[in-house]
Amino acid sequence: MQHLLRIAIIVAISLFLTPAAQAQDLSLQDILQDHAEQIADPSRRTVGETLDALVATGHPDLPGFLTRWQSREAYQRDADGFFVYVEDEDADPLVLLDISTGEAIGTAGSREITQLRPNGGVRRVIGGALVQFQLGADDPAIRLEALDAIADDPEESYLPLVEARLEAEEDPAIRARLEVVLPGLIIAFAEDDQTRVDAIRTLDGNVSLDARATLNRILSTRRGVAEALPEEANIAAILEPGSPALSRDDAYDMLVQSDLAPPLISRAEQRDVLAANIVDGRVGGVPVATLNSEEARDTAYAALVDADLAEPIPTSAEVDAALAAHTFFDAYSEPSAAVTRAARTTLDSIESRVGVYRFLDLSLDGISLASIYFLAAIGLAITFGVMGVINMAHGEFIMIGAYTGYVVQTLIADYTLSIAVALPLAFLVTFALGVLMERSVIRWLYHRPLETLLATFGISIALQQIIRQIFGTQARPFTPPDWLAGAVTVNDVISISSIRIAIFILGVIFFVLLWLILNRTRLGLEVRAVTQNPAMAASMGINPDRINMMTFGLGSGIAGVAGVAIGLFAQVTPDMGANYIVQSFMTVVVGGVGNIFGTLIGAGMIGSLQKAIEWLNPTNTLAAQTYMILFVILFIQFRPRGIIALRGRAAGD
Amino acid sequence: MSSLLEVQGISVTFDGFKAINDLSFEISLPELRAIIGPNGAGKTTFMDIVTGKTRPDEGTVRWGDLGRSLLTKSEAQIAQEGIGRKFQRPTVFEDQTVWDNLRVALKKPRGPVSAIFDRVTETDRTRIADIAAEIGLTDRLSDMASILSHGQKQWLEIGMLLAQDPKLLLVDEPAAGMTSEEREHTTTLLKRLAETHAVVVVEHDMEFVRRLDCRVTVLHEGSVLAEGSLDHVMKDERVIDVYLGR
Amino acid sequence: MTRNRSVPIFIAILAAFALGVTVMSEAYGTGAISVSFTKVLGMTLCLCLAALAMDLVWGYCGILSLGHFAFFGLGGYGIGMWLMTARTEAVVRANLANQVIPPTEAEVSDATALQIFSVVGGEDWPWMWAASDSLFLSLVLIVLVPGLLALVFGWLAFRSRVTGVYLSILTQAMTLALSLYLFQNDTGLRGNNGLSGLQNIPGAEAIGQDRISIWFFWASAAALGLTYIGAAWLVSGKFGNIVRGIRDDEQRVRFLGYKVEAYKLFVFTLTGMICGIAGALYYPQAGIINPDEIAPIASIYLAVWVAIGGRGRLYGAVIGAAVVSLLSTYFTGGRAPDINLGLFAIEWVDWWPVLLGLGFVLVTLFAPKGLGGLVDYFVRKDRT
Repeated sequence: MQHLLRIAIIVAISLFLTPAAQAQDLSLQDILQDHAEQIADPSRRTVGETLDALVATGHPDLPGFLTRWQSREAYQRDADGFFVYVEDEDADPLVLLDISTGEAIGTAGSREITQLRPNGGVRRVIGGALVQFQLGADDPAIRLEALDAIADDPEESYLPLVEARLEAEEDPAIRARLEVVLPGLIIAFAEDDQTRVDAIRTLDGNVSLDARATLNRILSTRRGVAEALPEEANIAAILEPGSPALSRDDAYDMLVQSDLAPPLISRAEQRDVLAANIVDGRVGGVPVATLNSEEARDTAYAALVDADLAEPIPTSAEVDAALAAHTFFDAYSEPSAAVTRAARTTLDSIESRVGVYRFLDLSLDGISLASIYFLAAIGLAITFGVMGVINMAHGEFIMIGAYTGYVVQTLIADYTLSIAVALPLAFLVTFALGVLMERSVIRWLYHRPLETLLATFGISIALQQIIRQIFGTQARPFTPPDWLAGAVTVNDVISISSIRIAIFILGVIFFVLLWLILNRTRLGLEVRAVTQNPAMAASMGINPDRINMMTFGLGSGIAGVAGVAIGLFAQVTPDMGANYIVQSFMTVVVGGVGNIFGTLIGAGMIGSLQKAIEWLNPTNTLAAQTYMILFVILFIQFRPRGIIALRGRAAGD
Repeated sequence: MSSLLEVQGISVTFDGFKAINDLSFEISLPELRAIIGPNGAGKTTFMDIVTGKTRPDEGTVRWGDLGRSLLTKSEAQIAQEGIGRKFQRPTVFEDQTVWDNLRVALKKPRGPVSAIFDRVTETDRTRIADIAAEIGLTDRLSDMASILSHGQKQWLEIGMLLAQDPKLLLVDEPAAGMTSEEREHTTTLLKRLAETHAVVVVEHDMEFVRRLDCRVTVLHEGSVLAEGSLDHVMKDERVIDVYLGR
Repeated sequence: MTRNRSVPIFIAILAAFALGVTVMSEAYGTGAISVSFTKVLGMTLCLCLAALAMDLVWGYCGILSLGHFAFFGLGGYGIGMWLMTARTEAVVRANLANQVIPPTEAEVSDATALQIFSVVGGEDWPWMWAASDSLFLSLVLIVLVPGLLALVFGWLAFRSRVTGVYLSILTQAMTLALSLYLFQNDTGLRGNNGLSGLQNIPGAEAIGQDRISIWFFWASAAALGLTYIGAAWLVSGKFGNIVRGIRDDEQRVRFLGYKVEAYKLFVFTLTGMICGIAGALYYPQAGIINPDEIAPIASIYLAVWVAIGGRGRLYGAVIGAAVVSLLSTYFTGGRAPDINLGLFAIEWVDWWPVLLGLGFVLVTLFAPKGLGGLVDYFVRKDRT
């Protein structure tokens, strides 16, 4: 792979190098022959000159040769000093290839040609020369790669190259990279502190990871201890033992490590010493059997110390004295205080900007989580919020939607097309299931909400198990198409995956659509009429049975569509619905039952809250969920009817 | 004759709709008072406020000789203060016997622990028997409340009110669904109660109100429209306009 | 009072059942019932006890709590901490006994902690294990911790008048929060590893599991019997009338001057404590407890048992829990013979949940009074 890549680079470079006029006529072989001796046996010292001469010719085939030379894939024919490549270095006889055309030009035994084996130093110089070509390549990918190579392994010789490139570069992405790499090189290699400080200043406001890494490298510190602060060191901080930055134990450990104080003895070491000094069942006169308390052991150990059989343990006064007699500090590896100071202020200003971006990124995360919650809950906002039916199988409708997506994808290979088919199909499948469930079970239980809960729970475990029987317990793959698989990256701090944007858009579409259905259509009017007063609605010619059926079907169908979206990023398993059911109910309750706007706000609140808690404790999403739920429980205490509450007698009791 | 309940300038708004608007009301002990008014006049909301179910946006509700505010108290505390309420629809514990219904209502300590260790004393028995006789359910004491007729449920609820031994009874449409014979009985009962209690009767039925022969308060759109004897308010132009319909 | 009639009958049946199991047990009888099945029966009795509590809170007081299995689990964790600490400490002591120098208490404690918590990368005692070295304190906490959680949660929920399905959702959220909390490795209860080895009773190493299993069975039966008597007494008096009144018409009770919230809180907390006790008896027989046990679904099952058995009847809850949990054990334990239909074999392990789920639906639709309703039906028939 790497090999292929390299060849690709070489070809690309060869194609676009601007060849110098006089080189057109000469073949690369001719040019190389002029420097044959140097190439065959280069030294670190002289190879630079040779390379300069070669590069000056600007021959188009040169980068290819340099690459091969550097990686020890170039050979010289002993008979005539011709430089060649070989087709397969293990073959016998070897097939020789022309260095310009790549065509076979004959065969040779392995003893008839000599491999060019530049040493490490030389190869590095060759690499430097190559970078020059790569930096000038027309393909931005190659230029970026060259910059990566420079950043990974900076050399002073790159400095002028990078500087020159920055002036010429027009690609904004590469420019951005150059603007970090160049200061990095200056900081690393410039002699003059002021130049370096200026270079650091240019990084101000640059939130890229590279810029921050460059600055952090300057600010790397080493912890040290001495009797007095070393004069020449660039001190970052003086540490007080017993402070949060340096515990007393760690400080004393440092003293011991630097042979500035005698070691403390741990309880385990003490026990080992005691065990090694048992004489006639006694240690220091204390019977072994009584050594089951720390006091007894201390006594025995003290006796051993008195008898010169053990090292004395420093007393706590001695530890204090030792700590007091020494200074603990963090010193920068970078000797220049001016440079570290500039780096510190620049980094601080970058970090505060990063903080702002982080907040934006977190907000995006929160919005995207909120959209997921909203999608998961919106079907429930209709069945529970509007109709008042507790549907515990709601999560299973989501799950069935996701499985519909999976099944469609096994039938239709094109991912984009399969999703386009899966979305309406999932709606139809779960709509039908919802209608079936409403007709067969729920309509008998409208006046017994708690029993609806139990019956739908029964349906939920039955559905889960049936799916498990059909598809097995393992997660099924349901893959987003490529255009949804990537991420939109604003900078090194802010990025969001495309699928989450898609889910957000889907959520918005759902919201608008449902709002229109409920508030602007005849169906919506009838739904509201039936839920508020079924008897009255019926007497006005509305068929409540039909409306209930349609509404429940609608809510279920939406759950199915949400399932397709959720299945694209979550694991499609038979019990995936269980992950969403409690959150969905909470979303609806927090938002306020009876209107989808409340659900939107509820989802927004829960999503952003959970992200905020995750931010406080980023390692633990479980904890974030826990605290989020606790918050919701508390919230319900103060707003039992949710954020958007219907008040008064209309709300009922 | 001092005032038992004094409601002053209360208002309450539901989603922009003013259910009660600067309403004032006063009743003494003993007194029988009828409240009439068309649908949506605020009768039920008024009772909700007095019994603590709804908090008014403004105004005061004072109780007893000391004139203590009821607004900070819970429904249970207000009931314990001595305000009993009968709902429009008879609400009794259908799943329990008449006897149990009355026993639960009896005026005794209301805490959970007292309830657990509650023993039926001789006094309790006598009291339940008395009330049963009063409401004409002596024969039905061991029957489930669910099998009583509508009128009997109404009486049972009134009986439960009596068992609470309140000072003020708020009675919402006691005569609804009763035969004329039952109405007769109810009228007598309420009038007799009013000799020792303050009784507020909310009623639609003019005939029934006439028989109660008491002071009448007419509510309209959340405020008092008129007050006085039935004949007096019936002559009031505004009452005729809004209530008797034209 | 009519409702008390079930008490002597229930106690008689329970006693006869306990006697029968004892006679057939391996430890004291013919050995017809294996040790593991004795444990299953004992555990079933504990589930019946939890169902009894659920019936009190739901069937009588009308609070459909989806959190009572969380209290059950808390009881299990409470006793589990003691069992695991004591047991591990004994093992650690035995190991350290080979050392030349006898171990100090601190060493034993450190090694025990390391043994217990190394699985989640810990080595110190978390704060909630502070009482785990005392059986007495642990027993107190088994009742106190679920009770306190129920009290705080109930106080918050009831005072803001959260009722009906909203309360169910809220209790379910509480349960989910608790199980998520327990799932975390760093909260001190060994994350999803849970507590294990609980069947080993410290200080009873010499006594075989055959006898321990029957003792726990007796303890479970006694707890169930006593609770049944207590519950029957509680609901037969005025308290029962009030509580059922709250279930049927909360408003009416409130206007009679009763503090509905106080009654609900009383019942909620009391039943939470009962569930804690049931859990503390259950998990030493199960041998292991982990956060999965506390997941919201378990609490829903508890409600379903009560619904199938018939709520508002104490014996209904017991019947429901016993029948459904024993059938579940039977069908999912691989004991039930598969039904071979030629091309298609019905494997009970797989299809039982489907059957169970549809069973709930049918019971809810067609037999809202549950199996207990059937009992009523036959008893009435006998009388007339």
